[in-house]
Formats: sequence, structure tokens, C-alpha cells
Amino acid sequence: MGARLTGSHVDTQEPKTNPLVSISDEPETLYKRLSLLVKGHDKAVLDSYEYFAVLAAEELGISVEKVYKPPKTIERLTLLKSVHIYKKHRVQYEMRTHYVCLELKYLTSSTAAVYLEYVQRNLPEGVAMEVKKTKIEKIPEHIREPVWDTLPQVEETEVKS
Amino acid sequence: CVTPALSRRTATERMAVDQDWSSVYPTAAAFKPASVPLPIRMGYPVKRGVPPPKEGNLELIKIPNFLHLTPPAIKKHCAALKDFCTEWPSALDSDEKCEQHFPIEIETVDYVSAGTSIRNPKARVVTLRVKLSHLNLDDHAKKKLIKLVGERYCKDTDMLTITTDRCPLRRQNYDYSIHLLTVLYHESWKTEMWESEKTEEDMEEYIWENSCSQKNALDTLLRIKASENVSNVTKEELLASEVVKNYRNSVIALKNEGETENNMSQYKESVKKLLNIQALP
Repeated sequence: MGARLTGSHVDTQEPKTNPLVSISDEPETLYKRLSLLVKGHDKAVLDSYEYFAVLAAEELGISVEKVYKPPKTIERLTLLKSVHIYKKHRVQYEMRTHYVCLELKYLTSSTAAVYLEYVQRNLPEGVAMEVKKTKIEKIPEHIREPVWDTLPQVEETEVKS
Repeated sequence: CVTPALSRRTATERMAVDQDWSSVYPTAAAFKPASVPLPIRMGYPVKRGVPPPKEGNLELIKIPNFLHLTPPAIKKHCAALKDFCTEWPSALDSDEKCEQHFPIEIETVDYVSAGTSIRNPKARVVTLRVKLSHLNLDDHAKKKLIKLVGERYCKDTDMLTITTDRCPLRRQNYDYSIHLLTVLYHESWKTEMWESEKTEEDMEEYIWENSCSQKNALDTLLRIKASENVSNVTKEELLASEVVKNYRNSVIALKNEGETENNMSQYKESVKKLLNIQALP
């Protein structure tokens, strides 16, 4: 907030370039949709994680399409209670898996890499994640035109039956 | 001898209300009751009592906590990470535009979980989806491609889906799926000698020209004209006449789209016009 003297050079127009950022020439791959499915045994942990992931996406400027909770799956086992005999007395265990699904739209590869690394490094213990990426691409060069038009005329051989 | 319990002023009592919480819990750490100034109780309550307090509470230490990810901390992290992100091109703001410029969609899945190994064998599956309307195919090539591909083509959405997982690595599976697409495309443009033996059962849609329906209709009309002793009308004239064209359209609609109210009534009208029957009550 010092006084600006005439003749002093103040570079307020140039943005400060982060020395850690490196820009390469290769074109970015585009991801139309990124679908994160988070699985865990504890619903409260997943709720907190969902809040964190949604806030992180919004802060980084990623559009969140849908956040929904698929119904939980319960895997039950029935085992014998005793080590030897006593077939009529059993004990039952169950494993409950809760899910939270986050769908994000329209990410570039650098944004996706940054977001996924941030969100995966802060994945709590005992929680698993599946990331489904939908990449969009142009039709490759060799499928534009059928190659038979450009090849030189070759004598047709007998088609083997 | 027993040392008297020292009442120590914990860090929680010395903390200011407006302190920087992200410096207390910068990374994921276990729950330290002396460092968290919240009066939390957790656990199963004793009879006619309350859940146990936070001092020496194993339940609070076991559960993963998000004390290092409070909203201000997340905002700080994102502000630092924002430099590494790039903008989505603003010209592609809808799904249709994405599809128009980038017709091929490649789906891959990554799996993150804790365990003895970070590898997951399901991670090598690659799914390639493309709409056939974006490929440069003519009529014969499109029909041949659909026949070659079989179940992988969905007629309602005009989408070809190729799922590859026969190679051990994801890059190899992706290359293989592109190779499959290339081979299918080029093979469908080729016309083999035995393709001329395509019979009526092989046809995907009903073609009226050279079918029994056309022969029967022309036969009937010729016989009607002969019995009325009209001068010889040629087949081409009959084919070009309105009634025959109507009949042709209604038969094609019936065969291709199935039997609906509309189609049946159209067929009825065209047959009546063709055979010159007056409207029945």
C-alpha cells in the first residue's frame, strides 16, 4: 500500500506463475464423465467423505452431475457355533456394504488427475473406490475412408470356402 | 506407592477460539482427546447413563476421523491445487456437441482398495462405444457390419459396443479394440462373391420389389384388366399408378414396423382402392 512513485515499475498485470506447474504440448484427453463409486462398511464415514468429495469438486470448478446412494448389500454367513458336533447350534454373521456414487461431468485429463489424486490420497481406512472414466475421442485416421479405394488393383484370388 | 494424579492443563484449555485448525490437524491422524476441544461422547451407554467420555475412548480412536479435512482446510488445499487444473473447452458444453466432434467413447475402470496388493484384474477391461451414423458407411456396409457384429449392436440407440479383456494390460486391450473396429469397418466395405447368394430370409428389412406380394398384386390387376377387356396395360404403368404405390407403402409399413392400428387401417384402405370394392358397412 505504499505510494506509487512516477517511474517505478510495478508489475501488477503479470500473474504470478507457479514454479511447480509445467505445461506440455501434447493435447489433453477429454473425459465426458467420471463416475466414483465409494464402498464402505460405515455409513457415517461415507457421508463425511461424500461431503468432502463434493466440496473439493466444487472448489476445483468441476460440475457435479449427480450424487446418489445405491442401496446397501448385506452378505450373510451361517457357521457352526461349536468346534465339534452340535449341528443344531449355529451362529450368523453379516457384512454390510454401503455405497455412495458421485458423477462428475466434463473433465480434462489434468483436472481429472489432480482431483482423483487429491480425493484418493484422503480416502479413509476401510473404504474402497471404483472410478469409471469415459474418455471421448475422434475417429482414428485409418477408419475415415475404406482402404480398398486407395490400394492398387490386385488380382482377386479364389475365395476359400 | 501411588503418585497423585496430576491435573494437567490440556492443550484444549489453552487453545484460542479463532485458532488455525489446519495447523493442529494438518494430515490424517488418530483422534487425540487432549488436542480436540470438543466434548464428544461415544460408545454404548451404561445402564441409565450416558455414553462414555472422550478420554481413553477406544471407539473414537478406531473410527477414521475427518478432522484434517474441515471446509476451510479443503478450500486451502483446492486453492493450491487450482493451478494444476485446466479448463474444459467451452465449445463442448453439451452431450450432443461432444458426440458430434468426438464420436468414440472409451470406458475404463480403476479400482482403489486397501489390501495386500494394489492390483485388480478387473482393471484391464476396456469398452469402446461408437454410433454407426458417425462412421463413413454405405447401405451394404452398414448391414454387413451389423451382421458381423451380432449382439454387440443395439438397434434402438444405434450404438456399437466392443468390450475387450483378452489382453493382460489395459493399453493392449485398447489397441485391440481399435484394431477390431478397423477390421470390421474395412471388411464391411468388401463385397465377397458369395454375398450375391443372399436370400429373402437373410434380408434385414422387407423389400417390396421382386417379392410375392408384388407378383400377386400385378397378376390380379392384369387379370382384372383382361376380364374388362381393356387394352394391354404394361407392368410399368401399373407399378407407377397411385393405387399400387399405396398398396406397396402399406405392405412395407406392416412388415417392417409390425401391426399397429394405423398400419392395419392403411392396408385396408389401399386394398379397397386396389380392387375397387365399395366401402363395406
